[in-house]
Order: sequence, then C-alpha cells, then structure tokens
Amino acid sequence: MFLRAFNFMYTTFFCLDEFGLFFIILITFKLQMQDTPELIHQLQQKNAEALVKVYDQYKGALYGIIFRMCQNKPLAEELLQETFLKIWRKSDQYDASKGKFFTWAYRIAKNTTLNALRRKDDLIQNEDLSVYEDRSAPEPKADYSALKGSIEQLDPQHREAIKLIYFNGLTHREAHEEMGVPLGTFKSYVRQALKKLRETYQQTLSIVGLLIEMMG
Amino acid sequence: MDRKSIKEDGILEQYLLGELSEKEAMEVTAILDEDAALRAYFENLEADFEHLAFENAIEPDAAVKTKLLKVATTAEQATISLATKKKSSFNFPIAASIAACLLLSSIWLYTNWKNAETNVDSLQNKTSDLEQRIERLEGDLAGTKKQFQEINQPSMTKLVLKGNAVSPNSVAVAYVDHTAKRVLLDPQGLSQLDQDHDYQLWADVEGEMINMGVISSEDALIAMTYIEHAESLNITIEPKGGNDHPTVERLISNVYL
Repeated sequence: MFLRAFNFMYTTFFCLDEFGLFFIILITFKLQMQDTPELIHQLQQKNAEALVKVYDQYKGALYGIIFRMCQNKPLAEELLQETFLKIWRKSDQYDASKGKFFTWAYRIAKNTTLNALRRKDDLIQNEDLSVYEDRSAPEPKADYSALKGSIEQLDPQHREAIKLIYFNGLTHREAHEEMGVPLGTFKSYVRQALKKLRETYQQTLSIVGLLIEMMG
Repeated sequence: MDRKSIKEDGILEQYLLGELSEKEAMEVTAILDEDAALRAYFENLEADFEHLAFENAIEPDAAVKTKLLKVATTAEQATISLATKKKSSFNFPIAASIAACLLLSSIWLYTNWKNAETNVDSLQNKTSDLEQRIERLEGDLAGTKKQFQEINQPSMTKLVLKGNAVSPNSVAVAYVDHTAKRVLLDPQGLSQLDQDHDYQLWADVEGEMINMGVISSEDALIAMTYIEHAESLNITIEPKGGNDHPTVERLISNVYL
C-alpha cells in the first residue's frame, strides 16, 4: 500500500508540477494535524520518546508563531525549548475534552513568548540601554518569516488582522488600535478572514480526502 | 454572555487565543460543553488556526531538540532522584540509628555528669576535712604558743625530774611559778607504762605527800595542782586513775624546790 502511495505521489508530483507539490504538502499537514490520543497519553506518562514525537510534530508550527512574535532567532529558539519543557511538565493538565492539543500548546507558546518579551522590556527600561543595544535590535526579517499559504489569498486588511492576533500575539483590543479601525470593524475582519480560510481549507481538504481514498 | 454573542462577537476566537479572563473562559467552556453545534464550530475554528500555523511553520535549529531532550530528561531524573532521596530520608533504620546515637550520647553525658558530681562531693569533703584540720592545728598552735610564753615567764622555775633505779630512763620537767601559783609538767620523757598504771605527781609538805594530780601522757604540757609550802615534787607509779596515797616503793623521781 505504501509503495502504491509513493508511486501515486511521485506521479502526482511530476505530472501536476506545482499543484502536485501543493497537494503533497496538504496531505502532510492533514496527517500532522490529527491529534493522537495515544501519543498525548504517553507524553502525560512522561515518556521521553513521546516528547520527541510531539516535538517533531509541532516544532515547526510553534516555532513559526514564536519567531514571528519576537523576531529574534536565538531568543525564539530559547523560547521554543522553554515552551516544550512546559508542555512536558504540564502535560497532565491538558484535557482533550476542552480542545485540541495544538490549541493548548499554542497558548503556552504565546504566553511564554509574551512573558519573555515583557521581561526583556523591563530589563531595557531598568538597565543601561547600551548593554542591550545590540541584543534588543531586531534581526533583519528573513524571507521565511513572511506569511504564506492560504493566508496569502486573503484581502490585505483581513490578512493583517489574522497576522496581528495569531502571529504577533496581540489581543483584539491591541490589534484594532494597531490597525486604526474600530473594534467592531476589526472583529468583522477576523470573522470574514476565518470564513474565507474555512472555505479554502474545506475545498483542499475535500481534495486531499479524495486523493487519500484513491491511494487506499 | 450568550451563545449567539459568543459566535457573533468574536468571543470564541478570543477564547481560542487565550485572551479571556479565567471567569469568562470558564463560562465559555461551560457553554461549549452543553452546545454540540457550537462545539463543532469551535473545533473547526481550532482546525483552521492550526492549519494556518502548519502552513506557516518554520524549521528550528536541530540543536534545540538535543538541548530540550537533555534538559527535560535531566530535570526528570533530578525530580525522581529528589523524590527517592526524600522518601529515604524518612527511612526507619536511619531514624532508629539516630535515636540510638542520641540515647548513647545521653547515657554517656549522664555518666560523666554523675562522675563529676561524685568528684565534686569528694573534693567538698576533703576541703571540709582540711578546714577542720587547719582549725585544729591553729588551735594547737595557739595553745603551744601560749604554753611556750608561760614557761618562759621570768617568774617560772624549771625543775628536771630524773628517773631513779625504778625507772632510770625516765625524765620529766616541771615548771613552777610561785607568784602565779601554777605548776606545769612536761611528761614526754617518762617511760611508757602498761595499761593498768599511771604516773602521779605529789607535793611533800612537812613530811606529808599531797596529791597534785594524775599525769596524762597525751599532752605535751600538763597543768598540775599548785600546793603551798611544798618542799619537793615526787612522781610515783600508781594504779590506773591515780591513788589517794602514794606508793613510796614505786617512787621514780623527786626534786626539791
């Protein structure tokens, strides 16, 4: 079955060119995004192998969030480690009936990063600025920090709204001030952006589901 | 907060992003638990945001994974080690050993304390004895000094009573003060008698022997009875405790005044 799947994907990749690659990535996402209760249970039992698997599964998604919030590679890597240490230590507090594992992990990553940025701001305010001048300066934005995927298809104001609340860690109130629009308007942007994303994902997921069915 | 506003006002998005207060979050959780349709909507929202995150994933440096595993496993081992150590700290044998050590130390201290107390008592007794001896010696010294002063008075006449054939090795010294009417006798030179006899001193007054007292051998200088108009002093050996009349046959010494 795996050989057939590989042949199919190989054919799809070369025959459909960029569309093939896009679908393969989508399949990967779909497989990665599925919560695995057994894996989470093992993590809660403090199984180190489970930590490795959870890390491999969520490192990129969480690092993407953290890096875009702090815009500092060494700090982002340090915070990614801190986030996974918290996930490891607090895993017994995760309740699957309240939401997805990634939502829980995302909140940890966001709070860890916001707290670190607050601490950093305090240090800069309380200490000699020259000491932190180089370290506090944001690194030049790398190309890979730019948002990609379905969000690119959104209208600019919708894209900005999602970027601020999800990738920059701002609250709705902070974000609407940042954009200079009323809170109600901002919430409308978010709602419309999510509606659009939902439509896009539903379409692609339907196609992916069909492809997986064909592969089976 | 109602179901419609949760969906329409973006509260569900804020809940997902962790922006709500604890109280608000609990209210939303309660509503989600009761409303299956709203729960399904929320699950789609979660999936969409997760999708967004995976689309925008960035590969971190491989060193992060290595460091994370090292820190996580070390912390876990430290926790286990600490827990074990904590558990073992309440181990009964160790507690019993400590108690035994304390008991032995207490016995040792008690024994030492008792010994010290005995030593102190003994020292106190010795000190008391010494004090008594010193008092006695001081008393003796004062007496001797007084006697020495008395026998060296200008009015005191010294008479030596040498033993005759009955007791050739005996000698006694008498000190007579006619002014003060006192007689002292040093009997230390007299030969030792058996337990049934004592020496006795007599005064000869116009041919009659008058008792001046039994001579005790315990003192260095004995005060005897002064007799007026005595012509001589005489020492005889008499039955224990003295005699009313001198035993002339056992006269051992005499001296004329």
